[in-house]
Amino acid sequence: MDIDKLIADGILRPFAGGSLSRTDLSRPLVVLNPRKIAIEADTSEQVRLVIVHTEPNEAAIDLSLAAGVQVTLTEICLAGTFTEVRIRQAEQSSCRIVAVQLHGANTAYRIDLAEHGAENDIAALFLATDSEHCVVNLSTNHLVSQCTSRALVKGIAAGRATGEFRGLVYVAPDAQQTDAQQQSRNIELGEGHIIAMPQLEIYADDVRCSHGATVGQLADEAIFYMRQRGLSEDDARRLQIEGFANDIVNRCDIAEIREFLATAIAEQLQKL
Amino acid sequence: MKKESENIIDSLEKGDYKYGFTSDIETDMIRRGLDEEVIRLISQKKQEPEWMLEWRLKAYRHWLTMRQPEWAHLDIPPIDFQDIIYYAAPKQRKSLSSIDEIDPELKRTFDKLGIPLEEQMALSGVAVDAVLDSSSVKTTFRNTLAEKGIIFCPISEAIREYPELVRRYLGSVVSYADNFYAALNSAVFSDGSFCYIPKGVRCPMELSTYFRINAQGTGQFERTLIVADEGAYVSYLEGCTAPRRDENQLHAAVVEIVVEKNGEVKYSTVQNWYPGDKEGKGGIYNFVTKRGLCHDNARLSWTQVETGSAITWKYPSCVLMGDNSVGEFYSVAMTNHFQQADTGTKMIHIGRNTRSRIVSKGISAGRSQNSYRGLVKVAAKAENARNYSQCDSLLIGDKCGAHTFPRIDCRNKSAVLEHEATTSKISEEQLFYCNQRGLGTEEAVGLIVNGYAREVLAKLPMEFAIEAQKLLSISLEGSVG
Amino acid sequence: MDNNMLLSVKNLHASVGDKEILRGINLEVKAGEVHAIMGPNGSGKSTLASVLAGSDKFTVTSGEVAYKGENLLAMPIEERARRGLFLGFQYPVEIPGVSMANFMKLAVNEKRTFEGKEPIGASEFLRMMREKSAIVELDAKLTSRAVNEGFSGGEKKKNEIFQMAMLEPSLAILDETDSGLDIDALRIVATGVTKLHRPDNATVVITHYQRLLDYIVPDVVHVLYHGRIIYSGDKSLALKLEKEGYDWLINEYKD
Repeated sequence: MDIDKLIADGILRPFAGGSLSRTDLSRPLVVLNPRKIAIEADTSEQVRLVIVHTEPNEAAIDLSLAAGVQVTLTEICLAGTFTEVRIRQAEQSSCRIVAVQLHGANTAYRIDLAEHGAENDIAALFLATDSEHCVVNLSTNHLVSQCTSRALVKGIAAGRATGEFRGLVYVAPDAQQTDAQQQSRNIELGEGHIIAMPQLEIYADDVRCSHGATVGQLADEAIFYMRQRGLSEDDARRLQIEGFANDIVNRCDIAEIREFLATAIAEQLQKL
Repeated sequence: MKKESENIIDSLEKGDYKYGFTSDIETDMIRRGLDEEVIRLISQKKQEPEWMLEWRLKAYRHWLTMRQPEWAHLDIPPIDFQDIIYYAAPKQRKSLSSIDEIDPELKRTFDKLGIPLEEQMALSGVAVDAVLDSSSVKTTFRNTLAEKGIIFCPISEAIREYPELVRRYLGSVVSYADNFYAALNSAVFSDGSFCYIPKGVRCPMELSTYFRINAQGTGQFERTLIVADEGAYVSYLEGCTAPRRDENQLHAAVVEIVVEKNGEVKYSTVQNWYPGDKEGKGGIYNFVTKRGLCHDNARLSWTQVETGSAITWKYPSCVLMGDNSVGEFYSVAMTNHFQQADTGTKMIHIGRNTRSRIVSKGISAGRSQNSYRGLVKVAAKAENARNYSQCDSLLIGDKCGAHTFPRIDCRNKSAVLEHEATTSKISEEQLFYCNQRGLGTEEAVGLIVNGYAREVLAKLPMEFAIEAQKLLSISLEGSVG
Repeated sequence: MDNNMLLSVKNLHASVGDKEILRGINLEVKAGEVHAIMGPNGSGKSTLASVLAGSDKFTVTSGEVAYKGENLLAMPIEERARRGLFLGFQYPVEIPGVSMANFMKLAVNEKRTFEGKEPIGASEFLRMMREKSAIVELDAKLTSRAVNEGFSGGEKKKNEIFQMAMLEPSLAILDETDSGLDIDALRIVATGVTKLHRPDNATVVITHYQRLLDYIVPDVVHVLYHGRIIYSGDKSLALKLEKEGYDWLINEYKD
């Protein structure tokens, strides 16, 4: 299965940018290889958006969510793309993102929680193999009070690849009652190299902010558990790494995309 | 409740710096400014051998090519390095053999500082090297230590008397080219302590250096070199204070520690340089390079309580070169008023089975900015490296900032590294609970902050822990309401 | 050798670090039997289960364990499992992102391959999943979720028995499968275990409470204390322990 087929089969509907208020949202929208695109989510309907990069472009994506709008965004990098995704969220809007890099690429998310009650949830995965270099930049900016953000970024660096996560939670002065969490979880295989920089910059006091980062910590208990059920140690480890990655993939709300990603990940891991 | 916290903030701002006195001691100073002639003059005053002067000059020439680092989360006003007096020492008539011969004014200074230079030292069992401005004034307990073969003396004396040891280790952990401030220090350092613990010796008492900047317009550039030879152990304490002045004074120190095979060093600091007044005027710029090198099975533990200085730039680090070596960093950094701190550590895992642990507790009040900055690095051949880092920030008041800038850089798949950080304020529930049991708000905040810092304070030797606890409460005065 | 003998443990000693936890265990379990192991906290019950399953947290320092006449201690964890030794975990492990179905299919097929059988087909496998999950009234939805992830305490324990049903072990060791269960869940789990009982398999239940033994009636009850089995009796022993506690036994027992 590939993305073109999902479009041809009518599962995804191509979209070229602009306002969503007059767009048919019955099927998920897909933007293929964008260079520069602006999307205004100004509809009361649930928006499902997919962005796929199959060519090594430079892409600039602007997404703005009007008050109360709910968007799910899945971004998939299958080529060495430089992308910058800027998201601005208005009052009570909600944006849930699944971002997956299956190729050396550089993705920068800049999320502005610009009005009260905005919620952002991002789950990202990079799988760096051979001598690739994957970079995920994430800055979540709490500009006003009472916004919530969650970030979970998982990374796998195998072969001689480097995977890099640079995260920042910024809380502006007066952005009180901010609730922000950022987690970075990484595994190294072979001679992989991980760099993780989860940062907090906080100028308000009534906040609940936390971040964490780990490298190389898949639970040995899980390996014991699986072997106790008869799986070989190699299979148990491979399954665990697949599970580590699929934990992100499974958050995507489009079954066909989940399946596409799970297969692609399993294939890449099989090669290692 | 809102009003309550405002009260806390108001009352904290009344806080005072009790070490702000100056001492009227006759001082030997050189002219303002820095050039090769000044460096030659310092070296000459210290009666240094030629190799030492050469090293200083190399450092100076390298420093000229460097720029002040700007990556820290600090707003550093321009510093005129030609407007600083690089050498100031209390005048001594001759070398002293007994405590009674010390300048009485100097003795009173130390009494005010609460430095136990006299007989009470015997009771508390702490050997002290006191550095006033640029010179070591008095080192206690030399003879007791000498019996064990332990050398503990001013570094200027060590350069003259133990040149082999000093040449072997000086600059071996922090090279003169390491960074801007370390290069400056290497060029102009005028005193500090040297400590050597021979093979297999466990130092029977805590060793301690007390630093004080006294003279106006001077900078302080002390250099500390500690060597624990194979299987040796020492616990080392460092305290610092400075008079209250409207000008900013520069303190750029270097501490180098070498822990040979199976050795162990504990280095504790209670840093209470003058932080400036509540408008942010004056205070010490504390730009310090501290690093230790651990060989096989060696252990180095840094503990710091940082409450002073207008600006702190300081990252006590461990290079875990040897197999099975262990590095630790325990820190409480408190900032109030307009103080700024950018402090943390670097743990460099190079040997196999190396372990490190980082516990950092930041407390920001007033309009201060407090940053933790850390690096955990695992080299490609560092099998089975382990690190656990916990970095918490506590905010008191809504005008301050608390920041966390960790970096993990891992090149070995067998490593297990874990970093956690939280930021929060003192909970209203805790305050209410304490208030309800009859505690005043300021008292309650002091209590909660001390509880928050407990894990780090517990790592300090007893006398220091008590002083540090008091310091935390004093530094908080006027920031809570 | 007795052909019915499934497990024979002789003078088994095991330590974690310098601390010896099992200090000479002797235990024989025959096909068709149900054994209960009771004892106060910290007596070594869970350690015994983990050591038999092959956990590398513990070091066996001496003793022998024969399973179906072969040296169990020489086998890797998965071989013990494939030969039919099942451990029901006291704290079932969460494996994020790994679906129950995928996990069980692999496990079932590993066992079948080991036994020289063909791997199971997809539709037959699904039928088997449905059938076995009914035994413990496990919500079918849970089998499409990640292993144990987000399961409640009761669901995790039911899931253990479900997996036991899927793998049809010869010897099941159930480590405090009853702990943390409400009375309904306890009944379901215990009835599930009883349904799976056959003349050619055996069950060892480790428990704190007599109430589980109302459903799973043991042939033998052992009391484990300080790393040794200090007393064995019939099912009435469990009732006596429930009423009188362990003190009377412990006082009798001298190191």
